[in-house]
Parts: sequence; C-alpha cells; structure tokens
Amino acid sequence: MKALAGPTLFRQIATRLAAFTLLFALLDVGIVIFTYNRQPESLAQELLTLEASKAAGSTALAPDLLAGPPGAEHWAARYVEPDANSPIAPLFRTDSPGALLMDWTRRERIAGGYRISGVRSVVQDGQQRWLFMQFEGDGVRPYVPVIVNEIVQHVLLPLIPLSLLLLLFNIVAVRRVLQPLRRAEAEVDALDPYDVLLRLSEVPEPREVNTLVRAVNRALTRLDETMAILRGFTANAAHELRTPLSILQLSLDKLPPSPLRDELQADTQHMTRLVSQMLDLAQADALAVEPDTTVDLADIGREIVATLAPKVFDAHRDLRFEAIGDTSARGHAEAIYRIYRNLIDNALAHAPGETPIEVTAGPGPQISVRDHGPGISDEDLPHIFERFWRKDRRKSDGAGLGLGIVERLAQAHGGAITVENATGGGALFRVTFAAPEHA
Amino acid sequence: MRLLLIEDNARLASLIREGLDRQGFAVDWCETVDGAEHALKINAYDLMLLDLGLPDGEGLDLVRTLRRRRDTIPILILTARGGLDDRVLGLDAGADDYLVKPFQIPELAARCRALLRRPGASLGTELTVGNVILHSAERSVAVAGRSVEATPREVDLLECLLRRAGHVVAKPALEGALYSMDAEVTPNALEACMSRLRKRLSTAGADVQIRTVHGVGYALFAPVSVYG
Repeated sequence: MKALAGPTLFRQIATRLAAFTLLFALLDVGIVIFTYNRQPESLAQELLTLEASKAAGSTALAPDLLAGPPGAEHWAARYVEPDANSPIAPLFRTDSPGALLMDWTRRERIAGGYRISGVRSVVQDGQQRWLFMQFEGDGVRPYVPVIVNEIVQHVLLPLIPLSLLLLLFNIVAVRRVLQPLRRAEAEVDALDPYDVLLRLSEVPEPREVNTLVRAVNRALTRLDETMAILRGFTANAAHELRTPLSILQLSLDKLPPSPLRDELQADTQHMTRLVSQMLDLAQADALAVEPDTTVDLADIGREIVATLAPKVFDAHRDLRFEAIGDTSARGHAEAIYRIYRNLIDNALAHAPGETPIEVTAGPGPQISVRDHGPGISDEDLPHIFERFWRKDRRKSDGAGLGLGIVERLAQAHGGAITVENATGGGALFRVTFAAPEHA
Repeated sequence: MRLLLIEDNARLASLIREGLDRQGFAVDWCETVDGAEHALKINAYDLMLLDLGLPDGEGLDLVRTLRRRRDTIPILILTARGGLDDRVLGLDAGADDYLVKPFQIPELAARCRALLRRPGASLGTELTVGNVILHSAERSVAVAGRSVEATPREVDLLECLLRRAGHVVAKPALEGALYSMDAEVTPNALEACMSRLRKRLSTAGADVQIRTVHGVGYALFAPVSVYG
C-alpha cells in the first residue's frame, strides 16, 4: 500500500483555525485584565456589587458573604437602615446630606494599600434593604473573583459558542472548497503509469485546482509526445537495422556451402533475433492500450497456434490449443499475439526433446502456456523476467528479452504474468488481463 | 509466374530477385510507386511484393489505390516496419500478407506460393503439393500420376488444405467449405471426412502429411517443410 506522507491539507487548515481561535480568546482575556487594572475604581465597584449579590435570597448574612473577598483585611458587612438615628458617618454621602441611601462606592488610599467601602441595595422578599461593606486590601488579589467573573461573563460566554460555530463553518467550508482538489488527488493517485491516454478531468473552479489539473494534463501530454517520438525513432531504427540485416542474410546464402558460412548464418540469425526483440521491447514500453478495445483471447490464440504450428511440428513437437468459457478481454490484439508468441517460443527453447506445448485461453480474461520441460528452479525464479537474463549464456541463442517483453506487454494491459511449476512437471506461464468494461 | 517487386534498396532487390529466381519465379523490379504503376499498366502480374517506405510515396497508398480500382492482384508487403499496429494497418489497407524483414528466401517463396494458390489466383486451376495433384476444374485428384477416387466433399476438403499447404486451416473455414448454410453440421462430421481423406491418400501412397492442430484446425505439409 502507499505510504501516507504527512497530515492532510484539511487537517492542517483545521488545526490552524483552532489555534488561531484560541490565540484570539487569550488576547481577549489579556485585554480585559489590562483594562480593569488601569481602572481600580470600576474594579472596586464591581467587587462590591459581586459581594452584595451573594446576600440576595437570604435574610441573614450568608457565610461566604461574611468571608469577604480573598486577601481582604478588616472585612465588615452589615445591613443598615436609612432612618437610623445614629448614622454612621461613612454611610451617607457627604455630597448629598439627608438624602435617601443610595448605592455608592469609595476608594481611599491608606498606609500599605487601600480601603474600599460602599453600600449596595439588596432586594429580599420584595423588600429593599441596604448592605454596607468595607475592607482594606493590597494589590490585585481581592479583585481576582471580579476579574474571573468578568472574563467568564464578557469573554468566555460569548466567545466559546462563537468560536465553535466559526470552527464548524470553517470545517464545512474548507471541506467543500477542497473537494475538487480531493477529486483531482484521487484521479492522480489512480493514474496508471502504463496508460498514456489517461488525463485528469478538468474542474472549472477553484482556479488554483483548475490550473494544477491543467498543468498535470499538459505534463502528461508532453510525456505522450515524448513517447510518440520514441515510437517514431523505433520505427526508423527498425527500418535502418532490418534492411542491412536482410542484405547480410541473403548475401550469405549466396556463398558456397562451408562451415564458416553456416556459422555466419547462425550469427546473423542471432543478431536478427536480438534486434527484433529489442525493437519489440521498445514498442512494448511505448504501448498504449485503448480502454475500449475488446478482443477475444481465443481467436488470437488460434491464430498464433496456427501460425507457429508448422514450426513446432517441424521440431517434432505438438502444439495444442484449448479455449475455456468466455475469453473476451480488454486489450491490443497484436500485443496479445506477441505475448502468446514469446511464451510459446520460450517453451520451445526451454522444454527439451519432443514434449508437447499446451496453450489455453480462459476461463475469463487470462491465457496460459504450459510446457513439459524441467520447470523453473527456485534460484532462477527471481530472474526469469529480467531483461537480458539467460540461464545459460553459452547455450541460449536468444537475447533473454522474450519474457521481459511479455511482462511489459502484460503490464501495459493492466495485467500481470505469473509462473508456476505445473502439477505433473513443466512450467506454466499465466497472463491475466482486464475484463472488458461493458461485460 | 510473374512477380513485381517494388523495393527501393537496389542491393536487397537484386538479392530477392536472385533468390526467387532460384525458386522458379520471374521477378520484375521497380524502385518507386510511379514505376510500379507504370509496370502494372504494361504487364499482367500474378503477385506484387511491396516495400512500404518508398522514395516517392507510401506503399500502403498504392495498395489502397489498387483496391479502389478493384484490382485483385495478390499483394505481399515486405517491410522493415514491425510495429504493433503495422501488420493490421497493412492488411486493413488491402494487402494479402505481411512479412517483416529480414526473412529467408524459402519462407518468402512459401508465402508467395500460398498467395498464388488462392482461389482465383494464377495457381488456382491445378494444385500440386508433393506427389498430390488436384485439378480444381475437373474436381479430380491424382497421387503419383494415378487417379484417386474421392467423394466431392473429400475433394473440397483437400482443395482447402492444398491451397494453404504448409499453413494451418482453421476448422470453421474447412466446415464452411464443406457444407452449405442450410446443411446440418454434426460436431464430428469434419473429423470423419478428414479421417477418410487421410486413409485414401495414404493408401494411394501420397507423400504429403495432414496434421491435426488440436483446438485450431488442420494443416497439410509437403514432404520437405520450408522450415526443415
């Protein structure tokens, strides 16, 4: 399977969005803290209001109200009445003597800190009462509950749902926007390296994906053109090499019979075979199988067996063909013809004596060629499809390309070649193809 | 037998002419498409051997031109082009056979004879392989100069095999030659007829051999194969 390299683009974007949201929240908190620190008066106001809120609901002073804010010294809290006869001086606002009690807060600087005092109205059982509070403190510690409360009320409560919604929206939006890219990715991933006709389907938007897809398609087209040049070169090379070889071969026939002439003829034939196989291989490398061409493997099998039978009979051997079931496959007829031919040639070369060769098409999109030779040893097995490999270089008159050509042609069809030692002896080569698309 | 060879390589052309001459063919040679058209107007040829890449044009275009004119002269393409699609292109254009260079003279000669033995071709009236002779007009068979009794179906069968001597003839082609469309063909009717023909030929002392290619068809071989 393919190795997954790194996180997906989608995950990267989502992670960054989440990190950014968190940073934004922290910044917001920082701003709140900073702002309140600059305004101790409003902090004091908020603190007393917060403490007074604990008194609502019960007539007696609640224990936590009695405790006061953390770090506060000389905390005092009690209810006062506006018509009290002995008013305590700080209860009344000096700037409005005789007035009814009202909410007020006072912050005084004292040695080693500050003193906060104030009155808050509290409603208990529908009746308004007045709560007087006073304490002395130092630094920000007494304000911590206020700050925490402020942060919860004004930062976290609105920001959390907002952030979650934003994140959710982003996830959906990003997923949607990335969809064409994802499709292109799947198509690129599915590209068959041997299928030069395949292109990515173009998407109108987003423009970036469109550009990328078009660039990939242009690259594929260039590759295709390069292959066409290679094919052209192959055709030219074939012409240039084959004509002089023909002349050489036919000229040798005119020489008077001698052992030297026979050797030269054998050498020429070897060279002819080598050139043919190299060209076959070059053509196999450049083969593009049209996706919608359906061939009958049995028809091609009968054709090649009919063609090679005279040669095989001449070697006093038997060549048999059998078709089993439906044998239609997606493929290039001439290429499959060459697959058969190379496999039969291979069986002719490697199975000894007068043993028969059996060629089978089907069942389904597969063919096989079986000989009755010694089979293939385990040590040879990894090498037999290697180009230019021969078991015995001195004995073989081939170039060691036949099976390499077969493998390459099979790959060009999206198929595969396997080899096994058949029960009862002999090598069994099997080539599988793709089934026709509309089957 | 008069053959027209169109080949732009002079040395190769002269080697092919000499080789085919030894095999009993008379070969005229020209180097270009124009030369070929000219030669075809002047003489009647039994077979054309055609190279594809010619100095003044494409050999395949000549094939197409001839076929458009309903010229049925057998055409054997002799070419260095052995690409995957080349053979099909050649046959689709209307050529009868396709031989990739380099080749041996005996193989070329065998292919020429096979084309000349086709119905309507020059060797059509009298088919000879080894010591077997079939007169297609009289529907008679002779082995080693002596006439041999054979049923019409056996003669038909032998004619099919003789016309493609050295090559495998597929079963459907043989069955098609033996039976008209409406006649019922039992699965082993062909095998039975073939068996009777073999017996008859061997009794008469024929030196040809009919071989079965399992799953494909039958082939008749001359005493000495071209691959020998």
